[in-house]
Amino acid sequence: MSTPAGSRPGASQVRGVVLVVDDETRILSALRRSLRREGYEILTAETPAEALSILEARSVDVILSDHKMPGMNGLEFLALAAIRRPQAARLLITGWTAEVPARDLDALGIRALLAKPWDDAELKAAVRSALGR
Amino acid sequence: MLTQSEPVVHVLIAQAARGAGPLAQTAAILGRLGADVRVASVETGAACLERVRAGGIDLVVLDLGLGAEARELLSALRGVGPPVVAVTPEPGTDVVRDAFLLGAAECVIAGPEYARVLPVVVLEQIRRWRALLERGAVEQRLRRLEHLNDAIVQAIPAALAVLGPDGRVVGVNPEFARAFGVDATRASGASLEEILPAGLLPRERLLGLLREATVREVELRVSTPVPGSGTATRSFDVRLARLDDEGRLLLVLWDVTEAEQLNRRLAELKRYNENIIQNMNSALLVVDREGRIAFANPTAEGILRGKLAELRGRSIWEWLSDTPRGRELLERTLREGVRFRGAETVITHPSGQVVPIGISCAPLQGANGRRVGAVAIFQDLSEIKELQRHVSQTERMASIGQLAAGVAHEINNPMGFIHANLCQMAEYLSDLRRLWERVGDLQAAIATGRADQIHAQSEKLAALSAEVDSDFVFSDFAKALRESQEGSERIRHIVQDLRQFSRNDSGDRTLADVTDCLDSTANIVGTMMKHTVVLRKEYEELPRIRCYPMQIKQVFMNLLVNAFQAIQERVGSSGETGEIRLETHRRSGGIVVVVSDTGIGIPPENLPRIFDPFFTTKEVGIGMGLGLSTSFSIVQRHGGALRVESKPGVGSRFEVFLPLTSGDSTPQPAA
Repeated sequence: MSTPAGSRPGASQVRGVVLVVDDETRILSALRRSLRREGYEILTAETPAEALSILEARSVDVILSDHKMPGMNGLEFLALAAIRRPQAARLLITGWTAEVPARDLDALGIRALLAKPWDDAELKAAVRSALGR
Repeated sequence: MLTQSEPVVHVLIAQAARGAGPLAQTAAILGRLGADVRVASVETGAACLERVRAGGIDLVVLDLGLGAEARELLSALRGVGPPVVAVTPEPGTDVVRDAFLLGAAECVIAGPEYARVLPVVVLEQIRRWRALLERGAVEQRLRRLEHLNDAIVQAIPAALAVLGPDGRVVGVNPEFARAFGVDATRASGASLEEILPAGLLPRERLLGLLREATVREVELRVSTPVPGSGTATRSFDVRLARLDDEGRLLLVLWDVTEAEQLNRRLAELKRYNENIIQNMNSALLVVDREGRIAFANPTAEGILRGKLAELRGRSIWEWLSDTPRGRELLERTLREGVRFRGAETVITHPSGQVVPIGISCAPLQGANGRRVGAVAIFQDLSEIKELQRHVSQTERMASIGQLAAGVAHEINNPMGFIHANLCQMAEYLSDLRRLWERVGDLQAAIATGRADQIHAQSEKLAALSAEVDSDFVFSDFAKALRESQEGSERIRHIVQDLRQFSRNDSGDRTLADVTDCLDSTANIVGTMMKHTVVLRKEYEELPRIRCYPMQIKQVFMNLLVNAFQAIQERVGSSGETGEIRLETHRRSGGIVVVVSDTGIGIPPENLPRIFDPFFTTKEVGIGMGLGLSTSFSIVQRHGGALRVESKPGVGSRFEVFLPLTSGDSTPQPAA
C-alpha cells in the first residue's frame, strides 16, 4: 500500500498524487526513488486488483502502470482505472514497448508509453507533463 | 442316299416261293449280272415293303402273281420308292395295263426270251433311277449353297451391292439398305450415286472405279461428313470386284467409322500416356526380371545421369549397390510380386555421390499374366531433405526465440531497477558529498576556535542535512544498494541456469543425468511462466544414460512450453494459476519422465495427430507445429517412446520413456 516515505512533502506542498502499479516490488521501490524529489504523494500497488481498490477509496492525479502483470495486463487495468477515475492521467511503462499497439494507446487515452529500464529525466518529464506542468 | 461312288446295285425280288417256268429263274438270271448286282428275295408284299422302307434297294422285281398283295405294293411304292419291274407269266394286255396304271416302271412277260430281256430291262431301270437320284442330290446341294449364300449376304455386317455393267444396282443386301437408308426392294435399277450419301463416291470417281474394276479388284477408303453433325465423318473401306462373265460387279462397303474412332482414341491415349510419362516430375523406370533397365523417362535419365540409350540393358543394381534396403525391396517385387510405395532409400552414383530417393515399386505383368519385371517410380528427395532440415532448424530457433524472450523479460526487471537505483545512488552520493563538504567547513571552523564561526557552520550543516533529508538518504542508499545487489544476484542465477541448460551442447552422445536436463530446462522455462504456473517436482534418483542431452532438453522444453500454453489458454486473464508436475521414475529397462499439466487438454479427435509434422492448433507465429513431431522423432532416435493422455478441461500428461540399453548406464556394482 501507499507509504509516501522519503518524499515527505508537507500537505501544502503536495504537487499531486501518483499511483504506481507493478508486480515487482523492487521496481516500485526504484520508481519511488526516481520520483522522490518531485514532491508528489506516491501510492504503490503490486497488483491491478490492489490498485483498483485504492482508486475506489481515493482520487489520484497520475496512474503509472507496468504492462506485463499476472491476471491482467496494464492496458486492461488502465481501461478499468479510467472508468473509476476518468480525470487521472494514465501512463504505461514496459520493457516491451514494441508489443503495445499504438492503436490501443490512443483508444485508451494513454498519455505516454515509457520503456524499462527508464531514464529518470524522461520519467520525471512525462509525469510532470501528465499533471499539466 | 445313293451317290455316284456307290458301285453295288441292290435288287429285291418279291415272288411267291412256289412256281416253275421262267419266273423261277428270276433270281438266277439276275444273279448272273455280276458281283455288282446283289440280289435278295422276299415272298410277301409286306416283307418287300418293309425292306424297301429300310432303304438301300435300287430296284424291285415284283411277281404279279402275288395278286392283291402285288397291287397294294405297287400303290405303296408309287412315286416314292425305287422303280418296280413287274413280271408276269401271263401275256394278257389287261394285266400289263393294270401294272403300268398302278405305277410299275416296266413290265416283262416271262416268256422264252425272259432270261435275255429281264437283265436289259432291269439295268435300264437302275440307270434311270440312279440318274434321277443323282439329279436330285445335285439340286439339293445347289439349293443348300444358295441358302448359305443368302444367309451370308443377309447377315454380313457389310453393305453389299451387285452392280450391272452399266453401274446400275442389281440388288443390295439388308445391311446396305440399313446403312444408307434405302428400300432394298426398290434399289434395283437405281444408279449407285442416287442411293449412296452425297459426296461419298462422286460420279466421276465412281465411273473411273467401275472401269478399273473390270480389269482388277479395287480397294480404297472414302469418308464423307455426317450432315448436321459438325466435324463428324463416316468412313468406309470400299472393294469393287468383278463378279461374273456377264460383267456384273460386287461392291462391298465396310463401315470403319467406329474402328477409325477407336484407333484415333487409342492413339490419343497413347500420346497422353506418353506425355505423362515423359513430363512427370517423378522418375519412371522399367526393369526386367534380372533388374536390367528397359525404359527410363527423362526424369529417371536425370537422376541416373544418362540417356535411355546408354542406360538400357544396364543393371539397376549398379545404383543400389550400397543400399541393402532399396535392393531388397526391388528384389521382392521382382521375385514375389510384392508392391510397395513411398519407401525411402538412396542411390549411389559411380562417382560415390549419394542421392536420397523415395521409391515405389509394382510388378510388371506380361500379356499372359506372368511377371516380366517391375515398374519403379522414384523421386529425388535431396531438396525435400534439405527443406526438412531447414524447417526443423527454424522450429528450434522459434522455440529458442520464445525462450530467449522469457529470459530477457526476467533479466529486464532487475536491470530496470538496478539501473534506476544506480542513478539514484549517484544522486545520493552527490548529496552526501555536499554534506561532507559542510562537515569539512565545520572542522575548519572548529580549528579556528571561534565560537561564532563554529555555530554558523553548524547551522549550515544542519540546514543542508535537513534539505537533503540525510537520514532518509543514508537509510535508502543502503536499501537501494541491497536491492540492487539482490537484483544482480537474480541475473546471475538466470545466467547460471542458461549456462546449465546449454551445457553439453557439443551435439554428441554423452553420458548424462536426465534429471539435470529436466531441471535446468524447467528453471529456464519456469522463469517465463512463474506468474501463471506452479511447478511441482518429484524426482527419483535416476541412472545416467547415454544420450544427446541437448536434444533431450529440447524435448523437455517443448513439453514444458506446451504445458504452459495449455494452462495459459485455460486461465486466460483470470489471475488464476495452473500446475505443471514434473516426475521422474525408474522403470525396468529405462527411465520415465512425466510432464503433466492442468491446462485445457487436447480434444480426442486431435490426439492421433498431435505428433504429426505441422499439426498445430496454435495461432500463426506461435509455432509451426513441429514441436511435438520433433520431440517424437528425438525420443524415437533414442529408442524410446513418447506417449500422451489427455482430457479436455482437465489437462494432459506426456510420458517420455528412454531405454537404459546395455552399456549406456554407469556400471552398477555387482550385487
